[in-house]
Amino acid sequence: MQRFLPAACLAFCWIAALSLAAQDLQVPATVHAGSAFTIPTSGSGSATFYLIGPASRTKRQVQMGQEIQVKPQEVRDAGRYLAILRGGGASQSGSFYVLAATPASLSFLAHPSRIPVGQREGIIGVTFVFDKWHNLVRQPENVEFHLAVNGGPPISQTVRSRDGVAWLRMNSASKAGNAKFMATLRGIEEKRVIQQVAADPCHLQIKAERNAKGVLVETAPVRDCSGNPVSDGTVVTFTANGAGGLSTVDVPVKKDIAQAELKISGPATISVASGVVMGNEVKVGGQQ
Amino acid sequence: MKLAVLLVLATIACLILGFVFPVHQASTPGIVSGEALPGVGGTGNTPEAAVRSLLGDVQAHDWNQAYSLLANTNDVDKEAFIHDINGNYGSLRTFSSLEGSGTRVLNQSGDQALVRADMHWSTAVGPIYEVRELKVVQQGGNWKVVWPLEKQATVPPQVVPVNYLRWDVIYRGAQDDWGSQNVDSPQVRIVSMNAVQHGNTLVVVGEVVNEDTVPAFVDMNAILVGKNGQDLDQENSFDKIQHTLLPKQVSPYRIDFPGFNLSQIKSVRMDAKAMLVPASADPVIAVLDQHEQENVLGSKVLSGNLLNESGRTVNIAQVLATYYDSNGKVIWVSDGYVDRALLPQTPEPFAVDMPDNTVGKVQSYRVTVNHYIRQQS
Amino acid sequence: MNPTMEGVGTESCLVQGGSNTRLRVICALAAILAFSLTSFAAPAPSVQFDISHIGPRQMEEITGRNIPRDWGRAWQTMAIASDQNRPDLLGHYFTGFAQQKLSAAVAAQRKSGLRTRYIDHGHKLAAYFYSPDGGAIELHDTADLEIQVLDGNDLVHSERVTLHYVGLMTPAADHWEVRLLQSVPSF
Repeated sequence: MQRFLPAACLAFCWIAALSLAAQDLQVPATVHAGSAFTIPTSGSGSATFYLIGPASRTKRQVQMGQEIQVKPQEVRDAGRYLAILRGGGASQSGSFYVLAATPASLSFLAHPSRIPVGQREGIIGVTFVFDKWHNLVRQPENVEFHLAVNGGPPISQTVRSRDGVAWLRMNSASKAGNAKFMATLRGIEEKRVIQQVAADPCHLQIKAERNAKGVLVETAPVRDCSGNPVSDGTVVTFTANGAGGLSTVDVPVKKDIAQAELKISGPATISVASGVVMGNEVKVGGQQ
Repeated sequence: MKLAVLLVLATIACLILGFVFPVHQASTPGIVSGEALPGVGGTGNTPEAAVRSLLGDVQAHDWNQAYSLLANTNDVDKEAFIHDINGNYGSLRTFSSLEGSGTRVLNQSGDQALVRADMHWSTAVGPIYEVRELKVVQQGGNWKVVWPLEKQATVPPQVVPVNYLRWDVIYRGAQDDWGSQNVDSPQVRIVSMNAVQHGNTLVVVGEVVNEDTVPAFVDMNAILVGKNGQDLDQENSFDKIQHTLLPKQVSPYRIDFPGFNLSQIKSVRMDAKAMLVPASADPVIAVLDQHEQENVLGSKVLSGNLLNESGRTVNIAQVLATYYDSNGKVIWVSDGYVDRALLPQTPEPFAVDMPDNTVGKVQSYRVTVNHYIRQQS
Repeated sequence: MNPTMEGVGTESCLVQGGSNTRLRVICALAAILAFSLTSFAAPAPSVQFDISHIGPRQMEEITGRNIPRDWGRAWQTMAIASDQNRPDLLGHYFTGFAQQKLSAAVAAQRKSGLRTRYIDHGHKLAAYFYSPDGGAIELHDTADLEIQVLDGNDLVHSERVTLHYVGLMTPAADHWEVRLLQSVPSF
């Protein structure tokens, strides 16, 4: 008998410990955001129920032996929740995860807002998928991207999201104009506008004519190599090299053409440049 | 008591000595050369004294006294004289004060003389040096200055249509959702960079272009990286750049690192920052008749005329000159402010320094103009 | 912590004579308070950063230093805000809905008289997605945490757990901000 006493004591202690240990609350492993559920309890008397979540931390009095109702608004935010029940000198707890609900919005980052035409993979679209409570939807979803330019065929591509993000690169069109860039998912639509602008001027050509005041210099319509007219306001530099020295003027393009009157009297060689692009040279004679 | 009497006597003696033996060409800041008290004493006993006296009155803003020292008051209106020397139309000169000056008689015969006046103006953007050669004549026993007033061209009343492009910017609001459409900063590119040694200053020069289709406010920073890869110093271009660049416009830049030597550095890290800003393509300023010449002091300068082709007065103009060698590499950038306003359709001369170490190496140059216009209320 | 508090306390404690027992007690309490204030300042947690699987954009050197730094500071801020019920502290390293949700949590627990204490034992942070324009980065964080829930001064719950978080950071003027902090069952 005495030999078995320590073992019996040990067994008794283990059983007591097990019985006294915080019994886990029976909570589901995962719940979708905004879904109500219940937590069963046993025993009698009142207890305090704590629900600790990512965006809510509440406590309320409940009755042991009755189911605890967890309301939809208490589990709107995705993340890990702790449910704690304290009453009758004991404490029980359980943790569960709230997962994002169905997609309801897209955060669509589109870059750049302006891009020269003909740029390979120059347009970037990144979307993050969220549910109606701004939880990231990690479930893979098919996000469709559309790029449409006036007068040109639309380009579409579907990308499967991973961990809430879908992204792609697209080429800019060869024709200048505002392009509508859209991301869609299950009827959710986000639109952006990408300005496709003319690239660097190409084949800059000028003509020069002497008049009473000096020399009137004018460019041919300034276009890029794809034939798109450059934006109004693009600066063109006229340079006149004559006997009196060098004369320069920076003139903005207006309605495809840049024009300036250079007040030079003698013969001169006139050249043109825009940015780092050079144009032709024209020689003019002296004033009559 | 004895000490006090001694000090008074010494002061009187110094005063007398100062009038009898004036100092030539001393450019003491704040005090006109050769005079103990500005505007006091010399009323024209010598040609040089007459000029010094005039400059003293200018410094003291005593326009009545200064005007009374002119020989050609029949030809020079008092208002015009004041505007000529003190500036008008909100020009840089109107924000300046005569800090000091020096005088030298170039030649003198009979009752005429030619006196060179070197004037040092203190302005909002730093010192400006002006040299004038003034003819001085003797009238009724006193020397008086013939003021060389250039008749300022008057712009005839007219309507000048302004139909150049203007850009405004509407940004995304603070309340807008993350991911909402916004406007991107302009794309600028550094076209060239060259580090040169100028005395005990390491200077980084080059050009930057606005590659975008919208105006950009550009700022240039450079970081010197030492032989061990550590950052030695960081500097900014400040006003040695044309900050507002229209689409496809090219600006030079210059960044100075005083006290550094080329042998200390491994590389230079450049950083061009560009911001989207409202801007206007107006005014257009032509740079005419650019040529190299020597100024009256014998220094090489690049000079020419600025022509404001718009209908608005440009209050302050800054000229930036880029010098290229035979390979088209930027070897220097110099700048200078024009201290007179650019009136519409009216040429205004300018001159900027060409440092000695660039003379002989310069194959070509390009001049651009920064402009500042006072806002209309 | 004010270091001079200890200095003053020490000097005062050098006064001779048994009649200064009260003074010595005060000195000791001051020292304990000073020390506890120091430890309460919750130093930034350690963050190991892994960029081996980053894409599509490669991480710049400076960004690679700043991301773990600002992530650690965000957690530090959240721990203090949650412990002291101060939602105003969340504004610098949190933004958007992350800031809104955390602020709501802190406000809710303050209303209920609760506090949540995070004792941070470090993070293993992996960069998952870095947008091509550099405007957003998605991170996967494995955090070693001790979480205590207090009701007033009563310790209601305590646990040591390893949790997984998906985070989204976007650049602010001179640092990165947390735009999303979402705990997930696994990666």
